[in-house]
Amino acid sequence: MERKRYERLDETLYREKLPNGLEVCLLPKPGFSKTYAMFSARFGSVDSRYRLGAGDETQVPDGAAHFLEHKLFEDPEGNTFARFADRGASVNAFTTFDRTSYLFSATEELEANTEHLLDMVQQPYFTDENVEKEKGIIGQEIRMYQDDPEWRAFFGLIESLYAFHPVRIDIAGTVESISAIGKETLYDLHRTFYHPGNMLLFMAGGFDPEQVMRLVRANQERKVFPATPDVRRILPEEPDRVVRKEAEISLDVSMPKCKFGFKEPAGGLSPEEKLRRELTTALVLDLIFGQSASIYQTLYDEKLITDQFGYEYDIGPGYAFSVIGGDTPDPGRLIGRVRELIGALLDSGIDADEFERVKRKRIGGYLRKLNSPEGIASEFTRYRFMGIDYFELLPVLERITLRDAERRLGEHVNWDRSAVFVVRPKEAP
Amino acid sequence: MGHQQPLFERAEAGRMRVHVLPTDRFKTCAISVFVGRPLSDEEVTPAALIPFVLRRGTERHPETKRFREELDRLYGAGFGFDIFKRGNHHIVQFRLEIIDDRFVSGEANLLRQALALLGQVMTRPALEDGVFIKKYVDAEKNTLRSKLEAVINDKIRYAYERCTALTFPDDPFRHHALGRLEKLQELDVQSLFAFYRRWLSDSQIDMYVVGNTSTEAVLDAVKAEFFLESAADSPLPYRFVPPETRGERRARTITDRMDVTQGKLNIGLVTPVLRSDPRYPAMLLYNGVLGGYPHSKLFTNVREKANLAYYVSSRYDGFKGFVMIQTGIEIANRDKALGLIEEQLEDMRAGRIEEAEIDRTKTLIVSQLKETADSPFAMIAFDFNASITGSAGSIGELIGEVSSVTAGQIAEAARQVRPEVIYFLRDRKEE
Repeated sequence: MERKRYERLDETLYREKLPNGLEVCLLPKPGFSKTYAMFSARFGSVDSRYRLGAGDETQVPDGAAHFLEHKLFEDPEGNTFARFADRGASVNAFTTFDRTSYLFSATEELEANTEHLLDMVQQPYFTDENVEKEKGIIGQEIRMYQDDPEWRAFFGLIESLYAFHPVRIDIAGTVESISAIGKETLYDLHRTFYHPGNMLLFMAGGFDPEQVMRLVRANQERKVFPATPDVRRILPEEPDRVVRKEAEISLDVSMPKCKFGFKEPAGGLSPEEKLRRELTTALVLDLIFGQSASIYQTLYDEKLITDQFGYEYDIGPGYAFSVIGGDTPDPGRLIGRVRELIGALLDSGIDADEFERVKRKRIGGYLRKLNSPEGIASEFTRYRFMGIDYFELLPVLERITLRDAERRLGEHVNWDRSAVFVVRPKEAP
Repeated sequence: MGHQQPLFERAEAGRMRVHVLPTDRFKTCAISVFVGRPLSDEEVTPAALIPFVLRRGTERHPETKRFREELDRLYGAGFGFDIFKRGNHHIVQFRLEIIDDRFVSGEANLLRQALALLGQVMTRPALEDGVFIKKYVDAEKNTLRSKLEAVINDKIRYAYERCTALTFPDDPFRHHALGRLEKLQELDVQSLFAFYRRWLSDSQIDMYVVGNTSTEAVLDAVKAEFFLESAADSPLPYRFVPPETRGERRARTITDRMDVTQGKLNIGLVTPVLRSDPRYPAMLLYNGVLGGYPHSKLFTNVREKANLAYYVSSRYDGFKGFVMIQTGIEIANRDKALGLIEEQLEDMRAGRIEEAEIDRTKTLIVSQLKETADSPFAMIAFDFNASITGSAGSIGELIGEVSSVTAGQIAEAARQVRPEVIYFLRDRKEE
């Protein structure tokens, strides 16, 4: 077990790669009552086409990774939730574009809960019947999102940005696509993507790392896995240009919702380059759309945005895009003003004081997150799968220069690679 | 006991109660100030608007951009506010989360700087001609209006608010914590500023600080940076009254229509048991066994067995004596889902509860109570909620009480819970 001390953050991480390929990272938090564990597979909604070795290509139904997440909660007794609850553990899971995580939070019976989490995820129990019943449940989850204007606007925009890349597909799939999922699909996916070599266990809390590591080792030694499968993920060729510049739908909303974003080429970046790009873009977006930014304040004063206005940048396998926006009375005017104001910023350059201030704010945001085991677990896992150590972020963030930010602003804000998606209020019936 | 809570140190600074928990366990220092007053038809709207106007600027930094820059300089400061109801009290919570000096080089006393800023925000706002700046009031009225109108955007939240209002039709509790849309227009700069002076002088004010500091340091900063006048009348104390019980009658059924693909079924129920009631631990168990968790009766029967829903849960509000059941279902399945929910309620009343259901619910509640100690803001919330309701017990004591609740006590609590409203939000198609 390797021990790494991060003096500046006052954190110590214990890490070991087990013989079966599983990576285990433990972050003791002395004085904490609870332990938070996250067991993740490097497998998400975008991993929908793959080939095993030289074998044939497999295309899985949309929503399969998310369906698999639901079904791993199944055991022959049908009482996974009750068994966790018996030991005081709250358990949950989620699926993103590029990973699936299973987690629990508990203040006692750490050993039994940890073993249960590992066994639940590594010992699937799928039957025709339990797969079928899940279709009703996930069907309602899909309908719930159908009625959620934020979600619709988000995916509406990504569909406008991406022509072929599976990032454009709703993580849960559709009622039609999941109807094609059977237990064989799920077993295949589990064998392929839930091999220990494709997984990470991260735990943070008030435990003794030696003891937890022993437990995980013993648990894994009891299980037999085939050799790590040679999985080749296949991503379609994605053009640089967007599918359509503008699109809209109408829903029962109080005010139009307008999301816009920029698509960027995402290939050929090393993990370090990806990280620098991600941190710099977030900084740049904060400089434009953060609450202390002149552009934000101008748009707010002109009543073109509300305080729900937000922005995010997402970079993953074969995709990189921003999603910016919120409620606005006038989407057309909003976009017009944003173009003018960013144009002026490109001409004048970023103010040096402003740059330093926003950097401080982001450093503060990073440090604040380190208070919460939940926050750390999820970020640590995301970066680890990118090939980055989350606890080494601070120096990278600090080294970003004003010139870096200006260059990034110019690269990212390319209106030829942008799209706008609007959710309009329905006309009164 | 391993889960003994460290205690807050208490002090007073003028009319503000100050609660400090010195600890070096966290990387930040958490600050909350709660300003609370009785919820009323007249005051709910101006009281909701106040924090929005206050966040626009201070005497020292009247320009919003300068004020926000000041926050950035304090490493983001994690500044924000929440507006919520605790029973029939309307509370504004200002929050700050300051990085501990030891993690940022060359910084001296970020906490003191943050308290100074918060004092400015709350007690030294930007003014023109002796009142709030009109431009800010207009803009924030507009923001609040769009927030209130936007309640319909999130259908789960809309159904929740609507069912709450229907459950308490003649009670100020029916109002959204952000106020009343129809009253917003009436507020002008003068009346709002006059209200602000009252709000500051006769509300209850509690400050909490959890972090690497001392009570003396906090008191010292508060005395220098908060300018609070004493009111002619002393502030109205927090008081919690159980909902009226209006004899035996059937729950009312109400249906709304909107353009939705999923139906939202909400049931509003009332109980006389509040947080300070000796039966409160039994009510926590009631809610946990019924619908608080994925092992609960609602989730097990409506989702896992009948596969009718993705989410189905119950939530208990011990400040009001209010229980809400909520689920999203296929519109055609309304009666089936309602039937199943009513069966669970009946099982609770009849005491058809297995020992295992009780044990695991207890274990989970206890575990969550213990987790409180791991989050500064959770510790603040627990202490504030306990102190305003006069529930003297510590987390450790509540854990003891929860552990000793019996099946009979849960069934007894269940018999006190009465459905008031069955609310359904559905599509516009005719049946």
